Amino acid sequence: MFNEERNYNKFVWEDLGDLVKGRPNLGLDVPVMVYRLLQYTLRDVMITELGVSKTDDIFIKAGRLAGRQFCENMMNRELDFNGFVSQLQKVLREQAIGILRIEKADFENMTFTLTVAEDLDCSGLPPTDEVVCQYDEGFISGIMEAYTGKSFCTKEIDCWANGDRCCRFDVRLDGDTE
Amino acid sequence: MIEKIAEQLARLLQGKITEKIDIGNITDEREQYLAKLLNQLIDFMQEVHDFIIPLSRGELAEIKISPKNFFGSPFKELHSRLLHLTWQANQVANGDFSQRVDFMGEFSEAFNSMIVSLENNEKLLKRKIDDLEKALSHIKTLEGILPICANCKKIRIDGTDSKKEDSWVQIETYISEKTEAKFSHSICPECMEKLYPDFKYRITKPST
Repeated sequence: MFNEERNYNKFVWEDLGDLVKGRPNLGLDVPVMVYRLLQYTLRDVMITELGVSKTDDIFIKAGRLAGRQFCENMMNRELDFNGFVSQLQKVLREQAIGILRIEKADFENMTFTLTVAEDLDCSGLPPTDEVVCQYDEGFISGIMEAYTGKSFCTKEIDCWANGDRCCRFDVRLDGDTE
Repeated sequence: MIEKIAEQLARLLQGKITEKIDIGNITDEREQYLAKLLNQLIDFMQEVHDFIIPLSRGELAEIKISPKNFFGSPFKELHSRLLHLTWQANQVANGDFSQRVDFMGEFSEAFNSMIVSLENNEKLLKRKIDDLEKALSHIKTLEGILPICANCKKIRIDGTDSKKEDSWVQIETYISEKTEAKFSHSICPECMEKLYPDFKYRITKPST
């Protein structure tokens, strides 16, 4: 999994290892700072090696893979849409990923506008013009894809700072344009 | 120019959105920079004003504020939360009691309690309707016209052929099947005298 050359994704949930067994003293949680240290430094190096566009692309793809695996292993995919949305909000809160709030949902056409507050990836960043939640974009798409079996596209359409940073996402079926 | 800028700032402090300063007439670089900043402030205040007025009227759609306008951040957050609450209220209106409002202080508690109460009330109401419908179906059965044999008092089962023997059942069988009523068999004094005259005589004869 970690060192072999290949041109396809191989990650599965079990690759995370037995965390309970592996960290009997330190436990399962790490500070957000450690998570960001990994992600931001990785992103920093990738930008210098690959450029911004390619880096964004990789973060979206990685987020998508994570979202699919997260949904398949952490969520009940048998629920109806209302139940699934409620569960998603609960799981994201419990896992301290962010506070999900749906602003608009059209289940028939599968288009959603949602915000994520206290986001793991970007809350507390100084306000800039930059959109920085590419991993989140992929993550949300991946979750929706694992639930519906259809391809999704998620775009961060707004973010703002007010002590914390809150991000607004547009989620729709891939190829569907507003 | 400084007087002009001070005058504009004073008007802003009074809650009035003023006209922007014409930068083309300013030659001094520092004054020009100051005027630019004031103009930006006026733009921001105008944008916040244009955003908050429809928001206060509950007009939530199609109002936007630019990402760089940091004065607008709390209002954008308020706008977002109102959109979320509107969605939540619509979900409840459509019978979805599975949603909850997170981290919105006292409002979350009140709203979530309301959802739980509505859900409980609906469950209770459904149960009562169910009970009433069951009771009503029994009443209808007993209120209908029952075809009964004038002689043996057997009742004909609904929709069966009156000429066939197995279409007719004992009255207690019929009522037991159609209602919750159960029968306990006994014998009345008149029938006892008719069927068991000796037995009746023994139990009514005074002891000596």
